[in-house]
Amino acid sequence: MEDMTILEVSESSCSICKTPMQTENIYCPECGFPENGTDSDVAKFHARNAMKKNQHMDAGKKIRSARNVLYVMAGIIILFGVVSFFNDQDIALLISNVIVGIIYLALGSWTSKKPLVAILLGLLLYLTTIIISAIFEPSTLFRGLIFKIFIIAYLGAGVYSASSIKK
Amino acid sequence: MDKSCSSCKTVFLEDVKFCTNCGQSLLKSKVGTRTTSLNIILAFYVIFLLFAVAAYFLYEQYPFSLKVEIIIESIFALLVLGFSALDYRAILKLYKLPKIDWKIVTFSVVFPIFSAFTVYFTVEYANTHLFESFEDNYYGGYTYLDHPLFWAILFTAILPPIFEELAFRGFLFNQLQKLVSEKVTIIATAFIFALVHFSFISLIWILPFGLILGYIRSKYNTLWYGIVIHFIHNFIIIMIDYYTYNSTLLEL
Repeated sequence: MEDMTILEVSESSCSICKTPMQTENIYCPECGFPENGTDSDVAKFHARNAMKKNQHMDAGKKIRSARNVLYVMAGIIILFGVVSFFNDQDIALLISNVIVGIIYLALGSWTSKKPLVAILLGLLLYLTTIIISAIFEPSTLFRGLIFKIFIIAYLGAGVYSASSIKK
Repeated sequence: MDKSCSSCKTVFLEDVKFCTNCGQSLLKSKVGTRTTSLNIILAFYVIFLLFAVAAYFLYEQYPFSLKVEIIIESIFALLVLGFSALDYRAILKLYKLPKIDWKIVTFSVVFPIFSAFTVYFTVEYANTHLFESFEDNYYGGYTYLDHPLFWAILFTAILPPIFEELAFRGFLFNQLQKLVSEKVTIIATAFIFALVHFSFISLIWILPFGLILGYIRSKYNTLWYGIVIHFIHNFIIIMIDYYTYNSTLLEL
């Protein structure tokens, strides 16, 4: 009976996540809130959480930018294939470009569910298309170099941001 | 299992996420591990792209050189083994002989027969009728050598299954598993496997082929079935090439 009384008295709950915690505990074992800490500890907790939230928001922006890059790539590649077909009747280029364009679209759409792998595969696909073009025509490697660097940078930032916030 | 705080050394008998004494997070940081895996995957892919470019130009420069062929295959094997050494413990487990399961053994023999014939004739049809070009005859590429069938089988049917399975279903699969779920890993390895074949048209058949190999590797946790399927598939392609090459020669 005495033990039960002690148990009742010594339990409280975290004011942030409502997890039951013992009164002698300073910090919540679930969310780390300093329930019995000083004002300075509470301020640090909130500052840390705000920083995390900012990081997530920043990562979210980078992921959205990478997704837009994938959609833009899809549009450019399909358009280029169609234009080439009307100019040179190049059916092989049209089919290849439509396939690659559809893949970019699919990866862009997949970023809402699996951003890390979708952007990573988009980046690898882009690097491969650069290399294939360079093999057939080496001068293409330096054509639109700044545009290529931008795309790689956006996709790279998207991949690492998705990796940093993945739970 | 007891958990202790790295900061204040308090020991916890229960599973807690934060130290109740000093507020230190007790969750293992997986961000660092993920970033390392991501860096390795990107390095792996970029190095293989550069290798593919170098190999392409070497083949263009020396189309009839056994030495160049051996050098390129050796570099590829060394690169794969080098990357695999980074994760050798996990990879070695994939070479344990699996328990014989007749269902998968039968599938490993029947499926590549089906895939090889289907792919050979559909790809040939697409290339001749749609793209008005001809796919290279793999066997024909070795007729400048003595015993061309031996070299064709070695360089097309034996070495690629061994090293490509190790690279994609072994090393890359393990690294991707650290980043994403098992299902997504199967899809991603199949996609990358298809990409490195450098033919967007071939994505149509290499992607499903890679998905099946990835699924089998995931389900049975071994590379052996994948190697067998890959070998039989490539071997049949070579034998059809051998047959068509000699038939064409007889007709002439």
